[in-house]
Amino acid sequence: MNCRDFWDTMPELQDGPGAEAPPHARECQACAALLDELRRLEAGLRSVAAGCVRAEAPARVEARLLAAFRSEAGLAAPHSRRWWSPLAAWGAMAAVVAAAAMLLFVHERRPAPQPLTATELAALDWADGWQEEGDVETTPGEFIPLPNAARPAPSEDVNLVRVEVPRSTMIALGYPVAADQGEDLVQADVVLGSDGLARAVRFLDE
Amino acid sequence: MTQTPPDTDDELLLRMRSGDEQAFVALYRRRQGAIYRFALHMSNSATVAEDVTQEVFLALIREDCGYDPGRGTLSGYLFGIARKLVLRRLERSRSEVALGLDGEEEADLIELAASPDPLTDLTRKEGIAALRRAVQALPRRYREVVALCDLEEVDYAEAAHALGCPIGTVRSRLHRARALLLEKMHQERSPRSVGALRPVRCWI
Repeated sequence: MNCRDFWDTMPELQDGPGAEAPPHARECQACAALLDELRRLEAGLRSVAAGCVRAEAPARVEARLLAAFRSEAGLAAPHSRRWWSPLAAWGAMAAVVAAAAMLLFVHERRPAPQPLTATELAALDWADGWQEEGDVETTPGEFIPLPNAARPAPSEDVNLVRVEVPRSTMIALGYPVAADQGEDLVQADVVLGSDGLARAVRFLDE
Repeated sequence: MTQTPPDTDDELLLRMRSGDEQAFVALYRRRQGAIYRFALHMSNSATVAEDVTQEVFLALIREDCGYDPGRGTLSGYLFGIARKLVLRRLERSRSEVALGLDGEEEADLIELAASPDPLTDLTRKEGIAALRRAVQALPRRYREVVALCDLEEVDYAEAAHALGCPIGTVRSRLHRARALLLEKMHQERSPRSVGALRPVRCWI
């Protein structure tokens, strides 16, 4: 067996470090040295793998996916009844009014809620203005908290619904809208908390 | 007393399709870790890994996910989706992975560079850190095969399914990837290469 034939058998993949050298490697010092290096590299890669074997997706991913699964399968969340009852008592809250106003104008059919991605969640977390008074500076594409809406808890299962609303809706959130464009439809992403209430919105085509 | 063997992935998927939430949870918990780590090794970003893991299983929830048991395992299929999503994210960020070294990592590298043989210490902390950086600096087609076969111990057939290439290609890429890693580790022996590593750009 020559060196080329030897490496065609990929001996580095067959045994770990310290394993007995194959016959060719006992005769060829260059191949023996390279084989030894490759086996040590393989041991090193196993150490890299062992160092991150416990890394896994955060628990919030499972919670979001479960919500999506239930939505897709047409199943109600186990705790939904518990939440919907007090919801009636909170009907006077400004956040509900804002959310209802937003959702009443939904154009055509409403798509199923989608879990937020980690990037969207980060954008939501960075949105200014939660529970702040006065005007909020708006940045295109950024989530804007709805008036009196509570900031989602870090582990809260939040969902995203894409809707179309009249452009005039944007006035309430501080956007300038020309009078003749008030009835135009704009796309918006509405963030729903685990209680089903709208928490924040972002306009996609300002 | 005989133990009931755990459900296979395909059995869980079938039950999941009929609305069995527990089957979905079981399947997710069985496979999410490997998908997350693969995305993490590929992107070097926990945010990307989280997004990709979520998108992979969202695709599975949708009825039109396109998984065909006749073409390979569910695990290979999930890795395949994860790979496409990671590549899309990498392309969106201009395929550029900057591997800046913090003080501790640089110290590790200098210590490793002082070692007469960088491969001697690959199972020690500084050796592992240097090797991890070397993996992340590999060109994409070699990094993905190392992440799958070496770091996640996926077999060649499953890796071939995930990568959409023949098994022979997986073997040859793995062979080449290891040669590149050895080359990289030897380069790090020289203190001059410490500066050259900062930052490393990986054009895919």
